[in-house]
Amino acid sequence: MDQLKKVWRFLRSMKFAVILLLILAAACTAGSVIPQGQPTAWYTEHYAQQAAGAVMLLGLDDVFHCWWFVALTLFLCLNLLLCSVLRFPALLRRMREGFTPARAIAAWDWAPLAKLEGEPERLFAKLGFHSVRSGKMAVHLPDGNSGAAEGTEADEAETDRVEADGAETDRVETDRLKAAESADGRPVRYAVKYKAGLWGAWLCHLGMLVVIAGFGLGQMFKSEYTVYGVPGQTKPVGDTGYELTIDDFSIALRDDDTVDQYTSEITVTDTAGGEQLGGSASVNAPLSLFGMKFYQNSTGWAATLETWKDGKKLQEDLLCAGEYAAIADLEGLAVVFNAFYPDYAEDESGQPVTLSSALKNPGYLYTIYYHDQVVGMNVLTAGEKITVEDYEFIFRDPQPYTLIQVKRDPFRYLAAAGGLLVLCALILAFYLYPRELWAVQDEDGVWCFGGRSAKAGLLFAEEIGRAWADLKKEEQSDGK
Amino acid sequence: MGSDRFLQVENGLFTAVMVLYLAAMVLYFIFLAVKREKAGKAAGYVMAAGFVLHTAALVTRGIGAGRLPLTNQYEFATSFAWGICLCFLIFLWKYRFQALGAFVTPVIFLIIGYAAMQSREVRELMPALRSNWLGIHVSTAIISYGAFGVSFAVSLMFLLRRNMKDSAFWQEHIPDERKLDAISYRAVSLGFLFLTFVIITGAIWAERAWGSYWSWDPKETWSLITWIIYALYLHLRLSRGWKDRSAAIFAVIGFLCVIFTYIGVNTLIPGIHSYA
Ligand code: HEM
Repeated sequence: MDQLKKVWRFLRSMKFAVILLLILAAACTAGSVIPQGQPTAWYTEHYAQQAAGAVMLLGLDDVFHCWWFVALTLFLCLNLLLCSVLRFPALLRRMREGFTPARAIAAWDWAPLAKLEGEPERLFAKLGFHSVRSGKMAVHLPDGNSGAAEGTEADEAETDRVEADGAETDRVETDRLKAAESADGRPVRYAVKYKAGLWGAWLCHLGMLVVIAGFGLGQMFKSEYTVYGVPGQTKPVGDTGYELTIDDFSIALRDDDTVDQYTSEITVTDTAGGEQLGGSASVNAPLSLFGMKFYQNSTGWAATLETWKDGKKLQEDLLCAGEYAAIADLEGLAVVFNAFYPDYAEDESGQPVTLSSALKNPGYLYTIYYHDQVVGMNVLTAGEKITVEDYEFIFRDPQPYTLIQVKRDPFRYLAAAGGLLVLCALILAFYLYPRELWAVQDEDGVWCFGGRSAKAGLLFAEEIGRAWADLKKEEQSDGK
Repeated sequence: MGSDRFLQVENGLFTAVMVLYLAAMVLYFIFLAVKREKAGKAAGYVMAAGFVLHTAALVTRGIGAGRLPLTNQYEFATSFAWGICLCFLIFLWKYRFQALGAFVTPVIFLIIGYAAMQSREVRELMPALRSNWLGIHVSTAIISYGAFGVSFAVSLMFLLRRNMKDSAFWQEHIPDERKLDAISYRAVSLGFLFLTFVIITGAIWAERAWGSYWSWDPKETWSLITWIIYALYLHLRLSRGWKDRSAAIFAVIGFLCVIFTYIGVNTLIPGIHSYA
């Protein structure tokens, strides 16, 4: 039983969070340094044998998708969830009961951060505290050494001791403090601001959970397709039941011939209902249709292949570089359009290269197969033809094709919402954290100021001191 | 004025900025060595002057290039130094903390020195890089990295001061550990908030440009590692208290990660981000 309790304690502890985050950071480092997703042979070739073995054994060739990385992330979520759920009641209680003059003053060490005669509200206003409560309270001035809080008791749900500047999570018995607020005590002023900031860290954790959930669900359910072609072609979008027609594709150039923008005009048809929607997709400006996003992803060259036999044209195929045409007239005969060189030349070693991206001297690299046997391979330039037995082939009309990526990730909004939550929560946690300011009038009628802030006690104290100094300066110059 | 003229002016300003930062660094060292308030004050003014000229240099380059000057190693390095300088001046003004200058100025100087070694050629951007999101992404990165630069210097002071317990000089010249910790925490908070924003805007841009908001490319991964390191700083500081050294050590490691994300990833690991 004790063992179980220990495990439970550990699972919800911040120590566990720190360990998990450390391992995740190390895993990310490995994943960024070791090239991901290569075939096994790549690692055996580039690393020492043992290192390659370790990479494959630990799944370091695909760190971000391997089981232990996912498991660590799930543990982090569990840890976050437990910590958030268990801290919730304590936070709620602190929000409701933690900010009272009695509590603040009971925990005070009576070292005034500022002293003022006359209206104390001046300093409150200067520090941005607007709704100041006033009342009377029986407070015992310290007899020399200490007037600080007695009897503090740890928050049960606060598993990790939060030692923040100055103010511990004091839980002084509430009724004793209530009794301290009385009609015939000393005049007291008290104000608190940014109470909601108490929720900063909590909301940040919640936001992280949402981000991880959105990302994880996205990984599981998103889908991705690629469609490429030249204007006029219509192709299916994977198995979605939609068809994509490329209406136009343009490449805008700058004066120096570098590319300014790629734009595809497309129409998407729902083959079931017949509904059609269209628009243009360019780099950095994807098109959203039918719940999918269409990205102008890349471009390449396409050309028309003509097949002739005995002076008669047998067939005509529009091929993008990388595609092949099967010749219907003779089973097993196929022509692959391997690559295209718009400004064709040969380098010193006789390899085909292109001198520029301008269409000056087209060169078509092709391979011809007959039943898996290579029967021809070369670069064909404009006007040339390939002859294989009775067949003649020519390439003509090179033109750029467009490659459109189609993506669907219904959970990306969830991840985005989580990210936004984290961002807002951080503002709460780091800037709008709770601050309390109070003043008690001493026998001589002087207001003694105290203040606290669990998040930044020291700096808040300095801020009060500075505001006090500024106030004195202003009042002096006004008085002159 | 033609765009070349703007770039010439920028060149001149850049040199002046280097000289001013160097002068400020020397003055801060003098301030620390002989504890002359005046030297510290003067250093602050020289820094501020350097910052004004630095801003002018960035603006002229922006006009000369006809876009935000945030796209290659040179531009990003000089902006990075500018960001640290901005955050330093804010912290100097807010916390009246002159000794910080002696630790921040060397960092600024190293980064601007790195910038000086890079090519200053202005090149047209590939289409994927012309995005407003990218502009927001990189400008916020500068603030974030600037704040982390300040926290690095303060945390270094924290760690050194702890190790120099016997040195009267350190005990006298450098604020106490509690204050150093408080300031470092403020700097990390600012940096962490902005880094979060940087990662989110980067994700939005990646989603628009590449169709995937997170693809574990090395630069993304390293920004996440940096983010995790600073999250560790925040938690260690909370759970172990300000007296503990471990948080400060993470603040130092965090900044090394920042530098690696920015320089190491580009030069050592190939990826989508390798052009910037
Ligand atoms: C990716 C994961 C996490 C992130 C980004 C994160 C972020 C944060 C942030 C920004 C703060 C506020 C720090 C400050 O105000 O100085 C915080 C506080 C805290 N975190 Fe986390 N955290 C994460 C994971 C965890 C986990 C798993 C635990 C589980 C035990 C945890 C426990 C705490 C606690 C107890 C606090 C103090 C809360 C308070 O001041 O009210 N954190 N966290």
